[in-house]
Amino acid sequence: MNPHAKLITTASLILGTTITITSNHWAMAWTGLEINTIAIIPMISKSHHPRAIEATIKYFLVQAAASASILFSSLINAWSTGQWDITQLTNPTSCLLLTAAIAMKLGLVPFHFWFPEVLQGSSLTTALLLSTAMKFPPITILLLTSNSLNPPLLTLMAVASAALGGWTGLNQTQLRKILAFSSISHLGWMTIIIIYAPKLTLLTFLLYTLLTSAIFLSLNTSHTTKLSTLMTSWTKTPMLNATLMLILLSLAGLPPFIGFLPKWLIIQELTKQEMTSTALTLALLSLLSLFFYLRLAYSSSITLPPNSTNQTKHWYTNKNANPLIAILTSLSILLLPLSPLILPTI
Amino acid sequence: MALTTVLLKSVSLRGRCFRHDFLHPLIGPLLNDSMSKLYSSYRRPGSQPEKKPAWKSVDLSFKKSFDVLKTQLSLLKKESKEHLIGPGGQPWDEFLLEQTKVVWEFRSQEDLNKWVISSDAEIGGKSEVYLKLGRNDQAALLYGTLNTEVPRDGETKYSGYCGMRAKPLVGSFARRKYYDWSNFNSLYLRVRGDGRPWMVNIYTDPYFSHQKDDLYNYFMFTRGGPYWEEIKIPFSKFFLSSRGRVQDNQHPLWLDKASFLWASAICTLGFTIGDKVDGPFQLEIDFIGLLNDRAHTEEFAYELYEMNPKV
Repeated sequence: MNPHAKLITTASLILGTTITITSNHWAMAWTGLEINTIAIIPMISKSHHPRAIEATIKYFLVQAAASASILFSSLINAWSTGQWDITQLTNPTSCLLLTAAIAMKLGLVPFHFWFPEVLQGSSLTTALLLSTAMKFPPITILLLTSNSLNPPLLTLMAVASAALGGWTGLNQTQLRKILAFSSISHLGWMTIIIIYAPKLTLLTFLLYTLLTSAIFLSLNTSHTTKLSTLMTSWTKTPMLNATLMLILLSLAGLPPFIGFLPKWLIIQELTKQEMTSTALTLALLSLLSLFFYLRLAYSSSITLPPNSTNQTKHWYTNKNANPLIAILTSLSILLLPLSPLILPTI
Repeated sequence: MALTTVLLKSVSLRGRCFRHDFLHPLIGPLLNDSMSKLYSSYRRPGSQPEKKPAWKSVDLSFKKSFDVLKTQLSLLKKESKEHLIGPGGQPWDEFLLEQTKVVWEFRSQEDLNKWVISSDAEIGGKSEVYLKLGRNDQAALLYGTLNTEVPRDGETKYSGYCGMRAKPLVGSFARRKYYDWSNFNSLYLRVRGDGRPWMVNIYTDPYFSHQKDDLYNYFMFTRGGPYWEEIKIPFSKFFLSSRGRVQDNQHPLWLDKASFLWASAICTLGFTIGDKVDGPFQLEIDFIGLLNDRAHTEEFAYELYEMNPKV
């Protein structure tokens, strides 16, 4: 992309995010969200392929509708209470509409249909931004308004997200779509606990960002976008292949890795809130996503396919080793022993 | 709708002499109930105007609708079973390890029914095309005569094309299904031609309606010999054209997108002959398949140049 365009786009993304997370007035929160929406459009449609353009249009329509709904809910609240403070959203209609609008922004079920298609149409780095950076402002708004959200709707959407993220991700072969469904099911985990312990949502989100960034950057290094390409990646980048497996198992929530921490704490908190059946349902549904993570790990690292090692497009000798991958991978695998530092604060 | 009828009635009451036999081009299509005319009110000179409104051609009997519902439900059941087995109805290990796949084979009349033939007779030309099963039901024979005589309707300048196109896959309840060819990178055709050059077209059903004439094309040159030929065409060679015009902005053909995503996925394949040579033509096709050629490393065969380079 043109360096000027890249600068403006990146700066706008940072600006939009900063405006939203530091706002006290609903208008500023909405402004930041809109700036983010518009700024990411050139990044998604950078390659000018019809698939990318389609992903851009779908993203824009959904996000614009969601932003408008957020503004409308704050408008209803301002009309009935006379103030625009984010933390003092009291009108019940506003609360319901805000919950639905944030669900649309994040990609919670039943507003998740755009997410896999948008991720599939964009490049791996843009998909990373869409999964992590673009989710940060809406999660911040959720955190700020956590006491005014609608609990039954939120619980329903969270459990449905964990379920549908698992079920629909099962038959996918395109890696970006698999990661989209993993994002949807992680969002389910994040939103189930927001009313009771918002800090756990933030913790889950940060750890999810860490793990997803590690995965996307590793996949970007070997330019793999589908499962069949992943199967032959052991010949190109053997070390990345091994670490990818460990990061995937961490994302699945298996114990020696950091991905286990949010699941453990969320189940603990839900049990304290007398919601053991919900906790059980969520834990069982996360087995579905474990299945497709394991399939990725299985086909990339655990088994060696009988395919020949000549892979198209991989005739490069300079492997662009991003040092960030090393840092993120180490953190995502080894951070669990530091969990006692987090436990007293929750 | 009601407003336009009222307007027209008032027009006729006001002055019969003003209202001729044709309706106003904008209101006419609305009253005739033909949706396609709303997008283009053009009608080829010489063809009859469509008098029958669209709703009249629908059969509304109860028994037929019940049969249709039963067929659709059985198709839906089959699709759900296939979804449980794996992507595209194949088990996972088969999907991940396959390097070749036969998509269309010509062994019976049913296989022929999956294809539609067309020629320039629809614009008034004189070419003929026929499709039948070859000897011993081992291949399909597409044959006919190409005639480049231009139809005399005052606006056509060129003529003389024949082709056949695969019917798009239809799922339950008339939903579109797509092919997922992401494991492969070449088309593999076993044909026996007569030396004439053919063009292979791939239609990907686009998300935007203004791209509905987009086709990805490439050429298939046949030898005339008595021996069967195996032609491999990599997907990186296909170039984009719209309504027959090669576009400046080219992009590679994306092969993926299956299951419930109905956006820009491979829909049909077709063959066309239009080499401006009058005379008979013949093409025997044994099967059309896909191949994952591991030695083919090209991503896209065409370079793009900057249209207005900065000096």
